[in-house]
Amino acid sequence: MSDKTTTSFMRSLCMGRIEQDCLFPFPVLSADQKEMLHEIAGALEGLLGSRTEDFSQWDADGDMPAQFIEELKEFGMFGLIIPEEHGGMGLGNMAYSRTLQEVGRYDASVAVTIGAHSSIGMRGLLLFGTDEQKSRYMPKLASGEMIAAFCLTEPGAGSDAAAIKTTAVRKDGGWVLNGSKLWITNGGFAEFFTVFARTGTGDGQGKMTAFIVTKDMDGVSIGPHEDKMGLRASSTTSVLFDDVHVPGENVLGEEGLGFKAAMQILNSGRTGLGGGSVGGMKHLIELSTRQANERKTFGQPISSYGLIKEKVGQMVVDCYTSEAVVTMVGGLIDEGCEEYAVEAAISKVYATECLARSADEALQIAGGNGFMREYPYERIVRDCRINRIFEGTNEILRLFIALTAMNDVATQLKELSRSMKGVFNDPIKGFGVMSDYARKHAGLRIRRGDIGKMTGLDPSIQPQVDIFEKKTRNLAQAADRILRKHGKNIIGKQFATKRLADIMIDLFVMACTLSRVQASIDANGVEKASREIEILKVFTREARIRIKRNFRRIDNNEDELLKALAVDAFEAERYRWDTI
Amino acid sequence: MKILVGIKRVVDYNVRVRVLNDGSGVDTDGVKMSVNPFDEIALEEALRIKEAGNAEEVIVVSAGGDECQQQLRTGLAMGADRAIQIQTSESLQPLSVARALLKIIEREQPGLVILGKQAIDGDNSQTGQMLAALWDRPQATFASKMVLNGDTATITREVDAGLETIEVDLPAVVTVDLRMNEPRFVKLPDIMKAKRKPLDVISLGDLGVSVDGNLKIHHFAPPPQRQKGIMVEDTAQLVQELKNRGLI
Repeated sequence: MSDKTTTSFMRSLCMGRIEQDCLFPFPVLSADQKEMLHEIAGALEGLLGSRTEDFSQWDADGDMPAQFIEELKEFGMFGLIIPEEHGGMGLGNMAYSRTLQEVGRYDASVAVTIGAHSSIGMRGLLLFGTDEQKSRYMPKLASGEMIAAFCLTEPGAGSDAAAIKTTAVRKDGGWVLNGSKLWITNGGFAEFFTVFARTGTGDGQGKMTAFIVTKDMDGVSIGPHEDKMGLRASSTTSVLFDDVHVPGENVLGEEGLGFKAAMQILNSGRTGLGGGSVGGMKHLIELSTRQANERKTFGQPISSYGLIKEKVGQMVVDCYTSEAVVTMVGGLIDEGCEEYAVEAAISKVYATECLARSADEALQIAGGNGFMREYPYERIVRDCRINRIFEGTNEILRLFIALTAMNDVATQLKELSRSMKGVFNDPIKGFGVMSDYARKHAGLRIRRGDIGKMTGLDPSIQPQVDIFEKKTRNLAQAADRILRKHGKNIIGKQFATKRLADIMIDLFVMACTLSRVQASIDANGVEKASREIEILKVFTREARIRIKRNFRRIDNNEDELLKALAVDAFEAERYRWDTI
Repeated sequence: MKILVGIKRVVDYNVRVRVLNDGSGVDTDGVKMSVNPFDEIALEEALRIKEAGNAEEVIVVSAGGDECQQQLRTGLAMGADRAIQIQTSESLQPLSVARALLKIIEREQPGLVILGKQAIDGDNSQTGQMLAALWDRPQATFASKMVLNGDTATITREVDAGLETIEVDLPAVVTVDLRMNEPRFVKLPDIMKAKRKPLDVISLGDLGVSVDGNLKIHHFAPPPQRQKGIMVEDTAQLVQELKNRGLI
């Protein structure tokens, strides 16, 4: 059995090893936390349940009234993840994610206002803050006296966050901060900023540091409210720092480790966005099923038609599997697992894409009504569009998923080639590495050994387990082959990397869903879990086809043709074949 | 003065209730459960009396399995000082609930007992009346307004003919109607505070109350589907249509 805190399920999976202990049993909330979530859900209904018309109005206005923000503060909405001793609720990651799910059912602008505060704005303080910093700021952050914002993105640095230009220079035992930050959620009313700035002259990630900056410091100013496609009621502004003097004790975490801190904050905060997405899907299923039951065409409710059932069935599968993944990642974090970056990235990519699909299909089910602003669908489509862009675009995250997950394979290959070089000087050591490697590979090929096995699952879901095991073996072989073929140059092979990432996403979702369904069988028996087993079957079948196709297309594809067409278009900067 | 408030765990009023296929009950599997809305109004009234300085303590009490602790916690989060669960796995009929509440009254000696006028699941509207009789104290049912004046309370009741104002000696049992007040919303810090408030569990058996089986439920059935109505042009047609249906 391996150590759960230091093992990444996905990195192991790329080596062909199924670390079942990481994902089984499926994480559940304690009875205490469950009860608390019930109460939170009830309280949220009281606060948000009767406000549907307000939310729609605020979307049209592109603004959230200050009075409502005051209500959110008074309600305690900004203290969700702040420890009890500092005046918050002390929710764990899973419970926090579940709470945002509940908020996401009512309104995405409200969810993102709370999420930007807790998921990223003040999470750095929670993760890396000193006791002194925590007791200085947390009570105010919990009460909402200070609302937090996360300031990383700049006009010239989005996905390439390491390219930021904001600088902090030492002066009088403190720092002087200069620069500007773009698209900062909560910028309009935030009092507490987690700001990332360059603190060294050289290039690279090692030269960035995180700072706590407060609005009352001289030189902090806020740009105008951005007019956005969606999440229109939430506040998005630029934040400018002009010779802001930041005291030395406001350095957050270690000097020079700002980039790493930013990534850790984003990783740890992903379950907030994931939770919000799952909440959105649940809301859409309610809207669509009601709509399909009520709307009649040709004398029949449209819910009786196959093409509508297909859409709603898929929405259910998407919601259940997303919830499995998001809950799993929250559970891993709550258990103290440290290696969850790949898994968290998968949960973000998967849940946001499922929500996008659900929102689009729900609008389609509503037909012409879906296009009308009188109905909620178009707003949900607009609101969720940003999810695939912010907190790491899904493209960047796909590259991150595949490259990080294959890291261990690459290390092993490096060790192998290094020891091969020295094989004559130290034949015994060299042989050790060789034989481990050979054994693993033999195992992958002839399906022996138990490193690639799942055990103890119910026979009713064994066919799905078999598929998972088989595809895992294929993944390990493919990762190995691709790294041998491209070595370091894999970084430039984005088509292949994306396909591997898609395979990894499907496999992780499959594993989490297996775990969730097994937990349901354990708790209620096969018969009561039959619907969930059907969800697993549908997902696994679809995923298997996608995975197969992705494997095949790693080598057999039209990538070069497609690239050539793109290059040609870039050159022309237009479409060449008009018909007139 | 102590005020005792009864709270029942019921299927949430927003849920479209579904009868089980075999007619043995309604589907509560995964269904949202809440505090009976009339009981929330009762608790709100008790809290307002306490906040006005006319009571020292508000106690919420519920009878049921451990799952009803959820509703008691909601009561504590709203502002009750402590909670009592009368633990039983049986489904209780109003007379048993009244007997159990009487035992709690004997222990706690409240100056006022406030209940919802009925629960939205069984719609019995019996517990309060039975309790007053067993306790041998005055009752004021369907109250929409309550004014305390020392040893008595002036209560406005909603009756079929309109409003009736009566005065009762305290202690008394008051059951409240919809228009008495609008219950407050719980805030997150209240939930944290509620976690630290005492919740005592007493089994029904330890109270010396036996489960009463005078009523038997034979089966549940959904109400028949409502027939589609028709629009009438004038009174004459209305009268004719009613005659056609043998209604007048």
